[in-house]
Parts: sequence; C-alpha cells; structure tokens
Amino acid sequence: MKTGIFICHCGHNIKHTVDVRKVRDYFSAFPNVVVSSDYPFVCSEPGQEMIRESIEKEGLDRVVIASCTPSLHDELFKDVLRKSRLNPFLLRRVGIREHCSWVGDDVARNTEKAIRLIRAGLYSAAHYVPLEEKMVEVTKSALIVGGGVSGLSAALFLSNMGMRVYLVEKGPVLGGHVRTLKDIWPIRKDGAAVVGEMEAELRESENVEIFTSTTVTNFEGAFGNYRATLHTPEGDREITAGGCIVAIGFSPFDATAKPELAYGKDGRVMTTVDFEQRADSLSLPAKPRVAILHCIGSRDEQIGRPYCSRVCCINALRTAEAVRQRYENSYVECFYMDVRAHPRGGEEFFEETQEKGALFTRGNVAEIIPGPKGLLVRGEDTLLGETFEREFDLAVLSVGMSPPADSAAIASLMKITLDKDRFFLEAHVKLRPYDTAVKGIFIAGTCSGPKDMEEAINHGRASGVKLYGFLSAGFAAVDPFVAVVDIKRCSGCRMCERACVAKAIKFDEAARVVHVEEAACMGCGLCNSTCPSSSIGLRGYIDSALDDEIAALVEAV
Amino acid sequence: MGEQTEGRPQIVGFACSFCTFKASEMAGSLRMKYPDGVRIVQVPCSSRVDPAFVIKSIFDGADAVFVAGCHPGDCHFIKGNYFTRRKMAALKEMLDAFSMKEKLRLFWVSAAEARRFVQKVTALYDGIKEAAHADAGKRN
Repeated sequence: MKTGIFICHCGHNIKHTVDVRKVRDYFSAFPNVVVSSDYPFVCSEPGQEMIRESIEKEGLDRVVIASCTPSLHDELFKDVLRKSRLNPFLLRRVGIREHCSWVGDDVARNTEKAIRLIRAGLYSAAHYVPLEEKMVEVTKSALIVGGGVSGLSAALFLSNMGMRVYLVEKGPVLGGHVRTLKDIWPIRKDGAAVVGEMEAELRESENVEIFTSTTVTNFEGAFGNYRATLHTPEGDREITAGGCIVAIGFSPFDATAKPELAYGKDGRVMTTVDFEQRADSLSLPAKPRVAILHCIGSRDEQIGRPYCSRVCCINALRTAEAVRQRYENSYVECFYMDVRAHPRGGEEFFEETQEKGALFTRGNVAEIIPGPKGLLVRGEDTLLGETFEREFDLAVLSVGMSPPADSAAIASLMKITLDKDRFFLEAHVKLRPYDTAVKGIFIAGTCSGPKDMEEAINHGRASGVKLYGFLSAGFAAVDPFVAVVDIKRCSGCRMCERACVAKAIKFDEAARVVHVEEAACMGCGLCNSTCPSSSIGLRGYIDSALDDEIAALVEAV
Repeated sequence: MGEQTEGRPQIVGFACSFCTFKASEMAGSLRMKYPDGVRIVQVPCSSRVDPAFVIKSIFDGADAVFVAGCHPGDCHFIKGNYFTRRKMAALKEMLDAFSMKEKLRLFWVSAAEARRFVQKVTALYDGIKEAAHADAGKRN
C-alpha cells in the first residue's frame, strides 16, 4: 500500500494552532506512507497539481487530505484523483480545521489531536476499496413550493431553461407578501404590478404548471426522482420532480404578542402594511401626530426574535415619508434602536426622510395607552437617558419577519433542518447558502432568514441556477455507499430485513440469504449494525474500517 | 486514563452526517472551543453505530463514548435514530452490570445546534474528569 498524506495550512487557519511541520514529519516515518507533505492551500491549483504529481510519480493508491471538514471541496479533490486515474473512493478527507485547529487554542494539544485524527483516517483508508460511481437518471423537472417573488423568480429561470416546473402555492393567488405592497421602495411601483408581470410571463410558458390553493401532503424518493403528492382543490395529484426549491416565505410578526403596544385592541395602532392599505380611509386631524415604532418583533430576545429583520427600517422610513407627504403639517416621530437602512440608496433615503421633517428619537417604547386626547406613548430616550411621554393620534408599528408558519411541517416532510429561529438552515452559511443538507432540495427567499425583495429574488434565481446545474445533464452521480451482503456468512436470520426502513433488503427463499436492492438502499447502515454476524456491510463505512479508526483515536501517540 | 494524556479524558464520539456532524462543523466555524480529548467519528446515521463500536472504544482506552444523532422524528433516514435509542438503552443496561454506565452517553443535536453540541461534549468531558478525580482521591 502506498499512501500519500497532504496536510493543508489553510493559510493561517490550521497552521496557527497546529504544528503542521511536526505532523508532516511524524507521518514521513510511518510505514506505507510514501508521501507526507504540507502546503499552504491544498485546494489551490498548485496544491491540486502537487497531489496529481505525487499520485503519478509515486504510484499512490490511497490519498489522505487533512484540511477543512470533509463536506467542503469533496468533489474538487475527488476530481483530482479521477484525473490521475485513481478511483475517487480511495480518498480520505480528515477535518483538522473545523474539528481541530478552530476548536482549541493549545498548539501542542492540537498537534497531537491532528496526528490522531489523521492516523484514524489513514487506518480507515487502508480498508477502502475502489468503488464504481453510481449514475442515476434524473427527471428534468422541479417542484417549487411557494409562489412569492423568490419562488416565481426560480420558476421563471427554470422554465426559461426548458425545465418542467410545478409551482405550488398555498394561497389562492401568486405573489406572496409583495402583492400586498402598494409602493415598493426604491422602484416606487405597486407590488401587484411587479408580481403580475412575473406571473404573466410564467403563465405563457408551456412547461409550467401552477397550482394555487394547493399543499404538498407527501414527499418521498431520492435526489433526481422525488415523488410528491399535491393536494389541489381538484383532488390529489402525484408528480415526479428531480429536485425541489422551498420558497415558503415568512409570516409577519404578530404584534399582539406584545400586548403593551395595544395592537389589535386600539384601532389607532396599526402596522406599516395596515397603514399603506388604509391610508385613504383614515380620519386624522389636519395636523396629525404620528409615532412610528421600529424593531417590533426584531432584535428582541424576550420574545424570541433576536435577529434583525432587514426590511422594517426601510418600511418605517417609507411610512414616515408617506405621512409627511399626505399631511403637510404633520408631526412624525420615529422611535428606533439603530436605523439599518442597508440596501443601496437606503442611507440617502434616511437622510431625505429626515430632511422632509420626520424626527428620530433613539429609544424603546415601553407602552402605548389611551390618553385624554389620543394615544399616550411612553418610553425611554436612550440618548438623553430620560423617560418620555408624548401624545399621538396614530402609532404605526414596523413589524419584522417571523419564520413561516409551515416551516416545521415542511421541514419534517422533506427532512430538512431548521435553525434556532425556525427559519430553514442552509448547508453552509457562506459557501452553500442555497443548498440544504439534502441533495436536490434548495431553499429560496425569506424562508431561510429575513431578506428584502431584491435579495429574495436573487436568492430564488440562484437556487434555480443551482438546481438546474444538478439536473441539466439528465443523470447524476450518487454515492455508492450501499449495503452489500456476504452470502457466505449470511445465516438468513432476516433481522436486517425487518430493520430496513427503505425496504431495500429482500429475502431469497431458495438460497436462504438476503440480498440488497441497491437502487432502494439509502445507505444508513442500520442493517450493518443490526446484523449479529456482520455479514451485511455498508460500503464506505465497513466494520473493519471503523474499528481501526476507533483504535487510532485512542491508542497512544 | 493513561499517563500520556495527563489526566485528560479521551472521548470518542459517533456523530451522524446529517445533524450532529453538521453541528460540529458549525461549532468549528464559529470558533467555539471544546476539549481536545473529544474526537469524532463520522457515520452516515446514528443507527450505523454498532454497540460493538462503543465496547471497542472503551476496551481500547476511551474514557467515555457518545453517540449523537438527529432529534427523534428528524432522522434523515426516517427512523434510524429510534433504532439507535433502543440499541443504546439495551447497551447501557449491559454496561451498568459492569458499573460502566457513565461511560456511554446518547444525545440528539440538530445541524443548527452548534452551541448545544459544545455544551453536551464539554459537560461529558468535565463529568468524566471530575469522577476520575474523585476516584483518585478515594484511592489515596
């Protein structure tokens, strides 16, 4: 056996707390290790070239790369092996960044841990065998759940690329929350017109099917061939989709959860959306006094909303501007924590709104109660360090985004994960912001966290691009990590057959042994750990490899 | 505990690829700290963990072993973790007969719960360390 070990510095990320040279030297003297090198960035072009050269020159038959966590750059490194005519499943990745250099500060201890981890990888890789890459045919179609702007933009992209699209919307019309907005900053357009344009274009495409008032009631299958049941008003409908984009948006924060603000109890307290819709029918005095409250349902630990909702400052500014335009002699006071007018042009809009006469008071409003003439707004001015009590005719709450009401149900249906705030969790916050942990299922728009309209549209389109990339070839490689039976040892006790969740194990009555239907096997390894004689093994995670990995983790260095 | 580890417990953890391993990756990305004695073996699903792996880890010298997967109901493989729960409960009874119950811990950590992951492994580490310390005190 000829193993090559490549240790990445990851710039300073690994090097600063792991003595990479010591690790390299430790393995240079190891039996069966032909190459032990360290390199600043193994994933870089020269780094890949170094691996390629070593494989070809030294005739390596195992490659161990100690770098970032195995889920990052895995395809890249597999490709390096493929190009060097080495089976990609003879590669072992060892995470010494996320699991070593970043979680400890002590150089000596981290170095020891890195050695142990790499040795575990080395021992385990010794059991690896070349595996044939499994290709599956994929259906060139996409299920998009949610017909808001992000779902619509994903659907538009995919249909333009010639994919079959099933767009499912729970409500009776497409367009989501954007449809309800009258004046979208900064384009100054009616939301209904914006989504109307998108919808019209989509309805013209022949390869798009739109289901409104429809929910997804069942979802199963695997990447490339998901099967879903759609509960439509016309009855249930079964569809097959290669992949899925979840774009179920957000729920506006329910301001009644903050009873001290009297929302829902006093008609003079309303949200920015309510104000926009009712502005014409409001009966306010000629010189109205209007309070605008930022951060309602955002940046509030007490109600479990510690995050910034990103859109509400602009909404508040828009409302302040609208009041000043409607009533020349109005008094508008905004109560803010910080004004986060982050989109392009937002800061200028904040300046303009101030110039137009809106006042800004940094402070938290503690309560809104009926006063002798209007609404009494009480709170603390955090710049002056004083409490205030002022009377207003109207209080407008700029409410934030809460996770979608269906997030838990969709998460459990599709086996995807929610984050601590109950938005959907991406596979990697920076490197894979559109993917979920499940292959072929993507997230788009505000269901993965607050976004403004521009961001939601971009997010939707990007998820569409990613899904298209997965499906466009018509086939895709899937991990060949399926269970295999050693029929010489199988006693035919059928315990694995009873345990198998995927129903992939079938009993052969004639031979009195079991066999595995590879296409159905999900690769969980439950059968492997259930078998009393270990005669069924999960490829890639066979018993002997894991046994030796365990031994390497604890034995003396 | 071996002399070489200087009273630092060695812990072998089995983490499922879809939840706990993801949480451990996130803990790293967030630069959270936990003891270097904690070492993780990645398995596709917690149900891949053969009770024999736990026993082997202990026999080989691990001071404690944890098996961690997705929360019940969230298993990527639909119900693998229910099998894990039953297997580990049975194994715990067996370990109890040898007064080694404390050496095995089973817990659930979702992909989003990096903090919970760090809390769980640190608590396990500290617990084992304290018990060893108390033990040593008794003997002296």
